Amino acid sequence: MISISPKALAPGSDTSFKKKLDLTNLTPDQVALDINKLNLFYGKKQALNNITMSIPKGQVTAFIGPSGCGKSTLLRSINRMNDLVDDCHITGEINLHGNNIYDKHVDVAELRRKVGMVFQRPNPFPKTIYENVVYGLRIMGENNRRKLDEAAEQSLRSAALWNEVKDRLHESALGLSGGQQQRLVIARAIAIQPEVLLLDEPTSALDPISTLTIEELINDLKKQFTVVIVTHNMQQAARVSDQTAFMYMGDLIEYSDTNTLFTTPLKKKTEDYITGRYG
Amino acid sequence: MATLISSNRSRGIKNSLAKWLITLGGISVLFTLVLIFMYLLYVVKPIFESAKIEQTVNISIDLADNEKVLGSGVDELKELAYQITESGNIDFYHLKASVPHADNQFAIGDNSLSVSLFVSDDFNQDHVVNVVNSFSANKLLHTAKGQTLLIQPSFHAKYANDTREIIPQVNYPLGYNSLVIDEQQAALSQLAFAMNDERIVFVGFTQDKRLIKTSFIAEDDFSSSGDDVEYETIFQQIELFNGAVDEIKVTPDLRLAFIRSGSTVYVYSLNDDEEVSLKATITPTLANNETYLTSMGLLSGSSSVLLGDNSGQVSQWFEVATDTGRQFKQIRSFKANDDSVKYDKNNQASSAITAIYTEQYRKSFYTMTQSGMVNVFYTTSAAHLWQGQLTSSQPETFTIAPRANGIIAIVNDPLDANKKSLQAFSVHNEHPEVTWQALWQEVWYEGYPEPDYVWQSTSGSDDFEGKFSLVPISFGTIKAALYAMLFAVPIALTAAIYTAYFMTPGLRKKVKPTIEMMEALPTVILGFLAGLWLAPIMEEYLPAIFLLFIFLPLSTLITAFAWHNLPNDWKDKLPETLAPILLIPVIILATYAAFSLSGVLELTLFNGDMRQYLTNDLGINFDQRNALVVGIAMGFAVIPTIFSMAEDAIFSVPGHLTSGSLALGATQWQTLIGVVLLTASPGIFSAIMMGLGRAVGETMIVLMATGNTPILDWSIFQGMRTLAANIAVEMPESEVGSSHYRILFLAAFVLFIFTFIFNTAAEFVRQRLREKYSSM
Repeated sequence: MISISPKALAPGSDTSFKKKLDLTNLTPDQVALDINKLNLFYGKKQALNNITMSIPKGQVTAFIGPSGCGKSTLLRSINRMNDLVDDCHITGEINLHGNNIYDKHVDVAELRRKVGMVFQRPNPFPKTIYENVVYGLRIMGENNRRKLDEAAEQSLRSAALWNEVKDRLHESALGLSGGQQQRLVIARAIAIQPEVLLLDEPTSALDPISTLTIEELINDLKKQFTVVIVTHNMQQAARVSDQTAFMYMGDLIEYSDTNTLFTTPLKKKTEDYITGRYG
Repeated sequence: MATLISSNRSRGIKNSLAKWLITLGGISVLFTLVLIFMYLLYVVKPIFESAKIEQTVNISIDLADNEKVLGSGVDELKELAYQITESGNIDFYHLKASVPHADNQFAIGDNSLSVSLFVSDDFNQDHVVNVVNSFSANKLLHTAKGQTLLIQPSFHAKYANDTREIIPQVNYPLGYNSLVIDEQQAALSQLAFAMNDERIVFVGFTQDKRLIKTSFIAEDDFSSSGDDVEYETIFQQIELFNGAVDEIKVTPDLRLAFIRSGSTVYVYSLNDDEEVSLKATITPTLANNETYLTSMGLLSGSSSVLLGDNSGQVSQWFEVATDTGRQFKQIRSFKANDDSVKYDKNNQASSAITAIYTEQYRKSFYTMTQSGMVNVFYTTSAAHLWQGQLTSSQPETFTIAPRANGIIAIVNDPLDANKKSLQAFSVHNEHPEVTWQALWQEVWYEGYPEPDYVWQSTSGSDDFEGKFSLVPISFGTIKAALYAMLFAVPIALTAAIYTAYFMTPGLRKKVKPTIEMMEALPTVILGFLAGLWLAPIMEEYLPAIFLLFIFLPLSTLITAFAWHNLPNDWKDKLPETLAPILLIPVIILATYAAFSLSGVLELTLFNGDMRQYLTNDLGINFDQRNALVVGIAMGFAVIPTIFSMAEDAIFSVPGHLTSGSLALGATQWQTLIGVVLLTASPGIFSAIMMGLGRAVGETMIVLMATGNTPILDWSIFQGMRTLAANIAVEMPESEVGSSHYRILFLAAFVLFIFTFIFNTAAEFVRQRLREKYSSM
């Protein structure tokens, strides 16, 4: 049996001093997203079973669990990317500012501007670095060159990419390395100033050095955004997140602050998973 | 390490066999392509070759008493040549060693027949001073005493013991006795004639300076040769302008006489038996005071006259329609390079053109100078074909063989006045009318008011000159392709976008193969339908066709809008695939409405008939089979090609790019424009280029639906002729090896280059774009 000490894994020691939140009883201004009795079906197959959880504002929340547990599906439900999947059917609600995002009158495009997403594989568009970053602003109708320049620089700085690309903003984004591309995609997502940033296994396609850079970046990002990250890497969850939710077979098994979940899990399944019995 | 050696022999054999087979297949494909290319070039190459003339036979002739040779000729196969001498003898010589039967063998130069032409007593003690040629085989002998005799040297093939022998013979179409050409029976210093079956026209200038025209009008006709032909003679005097006549030519159609007097040429109309009228006066502008006309020639086809001057320049004149009626105009002029006359620079007179010889069927002519310098030109293409010295001095006679593939010249021996030589030359000049300029630039053809691009390869008459400009048919190819693309690209691309990006997968699985199956539809059926069904309908309901271009998109948009605004409850109940199916009745209704409105529109806007309105009020010519029909029909043929490739390109845009854009809050539409089409652009571009390549090479549709008129006109209501259709139409009727045949191969080559350019450009751009979006 391998024992994992969260202290040893966490970069810096600030996590241990953090004031613990009572995740079952958050005040409305502490909540970024409120998921309530969410069931999701792919055709007849149920992929998410009655998920209820609150994701706190300005913190990093990680979803972990074995492959196929529904963690990515849950993440995608938060900005309705599952709408693109045929036969996908949802009951229950996800509330953003007290409004159900699955309400009929919700403009999906508007929702996705507030809830940005970064995918597993870096997916820069076949455009220049600059055009990639300002893409979101352009589709919102922003054409003021000065504002676009400002936003591009700020987002690239926030994504810790500015110094590397400032001299070649107008070259193709496809010339960047995988890690740079992923940071570019993050810059692109934060350029439109979303409230929540969803990261779907953002480092799984990257090398260890790039992974480290992205992880450091996530730590910085939570100052501005609520971050929800899906990862299959428990160490990563332990390193970057404040809260961790462990999912298994479409069920939310355990959801607590990261320290607690990794040191004293309440459920047997969680313990088995974090100690490497399965996964 | 024995284990590393393959234990399975058969696998190794299969492996190397596959490798060799694939290599062989690949190489043979390339080899075949190169072979096609080479063959096209091989057939085309001769038309750009310059003329070649070489001596084949040189026969030495002994003539007594310094006797002159006045005429010569040769048969069509260049087997026998003849000369007509001053004393009225005609001698035939063998140019080829033939082996008839054993007792009658000839060597080159053997004399096979030698006869005195003066059979009648009329010619006692007389000698010939002039042998007059016409465009036919007939020759006129004129003697010092003013006697005239019409003779026709002819050749018959005889087959004895299965070998062919050419037998020469002299006919006397109007009998053995002297013809009465001048009423007063004076000797003629100049004489010209032309004849057809009904009449013979002579124009002569007598020693006592009268210009006369004499017509023989046959009772029956002249072709039934024999000495008992009966004819009526009409003598006419032509009013003379001034003293001297230097040269007379009569056109073979008996229409005009050209009379050169010094540097002026008078053109008389001979049509009227009562009166000969002066039709025109040609006074060429000459280089300077010292330049004057030295010779005149009549070009085959009775239209053009060639005037040569002492500076070595020849000008071509023919009648051109102008505002003030038909007038003779100088069309172009020919001059040999000055370099070539360097050797006799000190002798200015030597560049003067002493004679112009024209070919019997083509528009080529030969010029001769005093020193025997020969230049060969082709008039229409303005090509200078050959230049050189054939004989050591100007020959006594110079005859172009009937098929223009040889020359017979009789030359005086400079040392011995009694010795002459008969020299035969073979001429390789098969395609003088074709030059790069004639194919691609405006050419002034005989009878045309101005230079023009004309493709007109054949006609009924023998003296027709083929007009081979590749411009109208290349233009037609591009026009047909562009109108087809104008119709096909918007439809195919929007269909591809809709199918790949918006359609439900279930419906897409049915729609895509259905459209792709359209590609297998034989184009001959499309062409047939377009030419025989669509074209007449479009002519009758012309306003409806234009209404459809508005109605169909409009009704589609209205339906889409209505569907979009349908209450969600309804939409949920209806299956999603219903939306596109709903369009079918809408389109049928819109089409019906357009056709119903057609008549009303014609009545209210176009005075009852749009076609007539276009032609009469707007002055736009309307062909039933026009670019609109071709655009639609060929558009249909091209749509599946473009659709299929573009759809694949759009469909294969990676999902994570689309999601990336959608996750940034872009709408479907913004994602389509900003990301999907951008990423699919290499594929879309090559889809369009493939479509264009197909439209350029398409044959059957344009053949059946264009009317095949080789005109240069962008009008949508006019037809066109394309390179491909032109080849298909004309290849069966073109003579193998002729200029026409080779130009059709050249057209094929041009077509090949067209498609090659389109495909290469497409591939080049696609590679560039792909490089740009490489890691996608």
